[in-house]
Amino acid sequence: MISLLSSVISHIPGWDVFFQAGIALLIPLAVSRIYKALYSLVGSGRAVESPGSSAKKRKGQSDAPVSPPPQARQGFSGNYAADLQSIKSAIGRNSDLHFKEFTITRLQKQAVLIYVDGMQNDRILNLQIMQFLMLEATADSFSPSGSAGQQLPFSQLSEASDLADFNKSVLYGYAGLLIEGLPQGLLIQPPEGDSRSLDEPVSEALLRGPRLGFSESLNENTSILRRQGRSDQLEMVTHRAGNRIQKDLVIAYMKDIVNPELLREVESRISKLDIDFLAESGYIEQLIEDNYLSPFQQVQNTERPDRVISALLEGRIAILLDGTPFALIVPVTFSMLLQSPEDYYERWLPGSLLRMLRFAASFLALMAPALYISFISFHPGLIPTELALSIIETRQGVPFPSIIEVLILEVSIEILREAGIRLPKPVGQAMGIVGGLIIGDAAVNAGIVSPFLVIVVAVTAISSFSIPMYSAGITLRILRFVGMGFAALLGMFGTILFFLMICSHLTKLKSFGVPYLTPVSPFRARDWKDLFFRAPLALMKRRPAMMKTQDSKRKS
Amino acid sequence: MFTRTDDRITATQAAVFLNNTVLGAGILTLPRSVSEAVKTPDSWLSVLLGGVIVMAVVTLMVKISQQFPGKTIFQYAGTIVGRVPGAFLCLLLIIYFLIIAGFEIRSLAEVTLFFLLEGTPIWAIILPFIWVGSYLVYGGINAIARVFQIIFPISIMILLICYGFSLRLFDINNLRPVLGSGILPVLSGLKSTVLVYTGCEVVMTLVAFMQQPRQAVKAMLVGIGIPIGLYLLTVVMVIGGVSIDSAITSTWPTIDLIRSFEIPGFLFERMEFPLMVIWLMQMFCNFCSFFFQASLGISQIFRLRVHTVIYLLVPVIFISTMVPKSVNELFSLGDMIGKAGIVLFLLIPLMLSVIWLIRTKGLKQHV
Repeated sequence: MISLLSSVISHIPGWDVFFQAGIALLIPLAVSRIYKALYSLVGSGRAVESPGSSAKKRKGQSDAPVSPPPQARQGFSGNYAADLQSIKSAIGRNSDLHFKEFTITRLQKQAVLIYVDGMQNDRILNLQIMQFLMLEATADSFSPSGSAGQQLPFSQLSEASDLADFNKSVLYGYAGLLIEGLPQGLLIQPPEGDSRSLDEPVSEALLRGPRLGFSESLNENTSILRRQGRSDQLEMVTHRAGNRIQKDLVIAYMKDIVNPELLREVESRISKLDIDFLAESGYIEQLIEDNYLSPFQQVQNTERPDRVISALLEGRIAILLDGTPFALIVPVTFSMLLQSPEDYYERWLPGSLLRMLRFAASFLALMAPALYISFISFHPGLIPTELALSIIETRQGVPFPSIIEVLILEVSIEILREAGIRLPKPVGQAMGIVGGLIIGDAAVNAGIVSPFLVIVVAVTAISSFSIPMYSAGITLRILRFVGMGFAALLGMFGTILFFLMICSHLTKLKSFGVPYLTPVSPFRARDWKDLFFRAPLALMKRRPAMMKTQDSKRKS
Repeated sequence: MFTRTDDRITATQAAVFLNNTVLGAGILTLPRSVSEAVKTPDSWLSVLLGGVIVMAVVTLMVKISQQFPGKTIFQYAGTIVGRVPGAFLCLLLIIYFLIIAGFEIRSLAEVTLFFLLEGTPIWAIILPFIWVGSYLVYGGINAIARVFQIIFPISIMILLICYGFSLRLFDINNLRPVLGSGILPVLSGLKSTVLVYTGCEVVMTLVAFMQQPRQAVKAMLVGIGIPIGLYLLTVVMVIGGVSIDSAITSTWPTIDLIRSFEIPGFLFERMEFPLMVIWLMQMFCNFCSFFFQASLGISQIFRLRVHTVIYLLVPVIFISTMVPKSVNELFSLGDMIGKAGIVLFLLIPLMLSVIWLIRTKGLKQHV
């Protein structure tokens, strides 16, 4: 008994172990505290959480200048002169706004057409609208029942009963019409601003595939989607977002394919958007994503209509915002970021090969420098002896540890890449040559880095370019530096820990309820035909299981 | 459907979970420990026999757990034997899990110190490992099962490739004679083979998390069958490759086997590096599984939030890792764990089933 006791006592570890145990407890506690604080800090300003809190917020804002001036809240009085006066006092100071007053001859009534420069085709405005109103309009056109709009021969016509709405729409580019005796304003002829011609998307170039990308105009983008083919199930619903400047955004989906729960989730997140202006769809992406502290993007962005339409057919949902060619697609999984539309346009063998190459490339883009550091600094014994010897020989003159060496080259490559994007194309290419070839060679000759490292860094950089989604490439670039840190501290062991940590993070991550690593984990055998392989089209009979679509069959 | 909040795993995930809990430290140590006990080339028979016994044990555990759908051992032990004795039994199980978790990390740290990071302080290896593990465990059983699902195919593939290459050293004469000294040495080896199968107690909690508990028997038998097959393969390959004598004398015989041949013209001349990588990942799975079981148990017995328990267990596991003073003590701790595993088996699934049978069938009580 005593011997047992003494052996127990002899095994009680020393104070240093208890001290380390304390550290073992404190660091995760601190990290999770910081994480939670950060999460709630960012989260509180992100979206309106629930109807209750939104009401509270609005109450608090009611005396703030955010809400429109109180006098604009009123409706039309029906008194022509008073209404015109209040419109003029509200928005009349704009110098690009025109008030064209005239008399409707057959009725002997005063009317005013209000429009903004540059938004309307003047010829149509003058010839058709004015001609009709001044000369042809009769009493029937404006029946007192209030449904005046129906009698007017314009395809696009709506009524505005709220003065503020009327003002906003006129300034947005509608032609507004105000007629004596009518208690509402009419909005004729939507804006026809100039837009650029449709081009091939710069950020997602393909060798084979449609040379068509979205443009900045929402109407044009939705019409491009419609023009992909005939279907009565493609539904597009317009929402408005933005507190100060409102913008239209469209949620597009296939009505008979999309999972209704997913649709409801997307709609509820869109309706909670709380921001004064959405400058680009990136704003929406950041406001609706699941986890904003994760380095991985949980919303896919694309400029390609073909990509959007095939995503819709998989049961996913697209969000298009006015004023940007980038549409958002939700949900997204990690493997989708490595797929390119070309995989499907080419025959299945080259498609599969390219796809596997991309997976290998993304692994290299993430891990290559970390592996280099751990092999060179920690375990040269694990690589073939001759290779190890030759690398060590070339590193003889390098005065830095391998982490510094890698950092020097990696950081300069990142700077070069950043500079190359900003510069005009011809200069950018020249920069690439100067940076890539000359600086690399000079750095080797100067003995700052070893030639083998130049190969590693170059392969890494090229690999990260081969990822079809630019933003996914950025994620891997960020994580690469983290991995280098792990490798520099703990060698191979650290690199494995880094890999396990990324795995742990990715398995927890979800994009709109779909686990980020599907179909690898959770394992969905049905979706594996479109993961590393791209199975022949004849075999792709079913839509991805992970989207839980209403109609899972692709073929009749 | 999309925003699933329940913690349920599929039958495949459960099988992978069990496999990744059991398959671990034994890959490197089993050939030595079993050969030490058997001392004849028949050690593979011990592994096989132990595997069959463990399969029976697993079936029993599944059967008793299926009587209490949706409940883990920590919840139903109390219903069978009463709250306080049940809690006592579960505490024994939890302590056992914590000691195994410490044992696994310590062996991982020893191997890492020996092969990869000589001269690094041991806490620098253990601490980050525990931290990454607790990050995973924090995500609950779903996250754990998914990570296991990623690691499982990688490790199986590389393990099989390693053994495939070591076929060139394989000499069937090293495994002969079969049963040259009779059946007795085989039986004496059973004691050490039980150690490698420790951890199959997680079955008693896994069944509660399964989406379809009816498939549990099949899933769990597959889940335990894969490690049995791989351990058998390990012992056969190592003893066939380096002979029984060197298997006894070397500390990590499997690594010695993999180190002893070179593959010219391949990216890595030796397969030791990939083997180390998957072994480290497998140890991570092992550790996370036991960590999860222990935290789940404590939170269910004492009605604490599982996240609080995870934080509190981090220093406990660290201390339990640091208790053994040397590699030899570590191995004797391993033997003790094996014995404790047998005792726990007698205490928990067997005794609980017997009491449950007596109470339901004999006394017609409604439990």
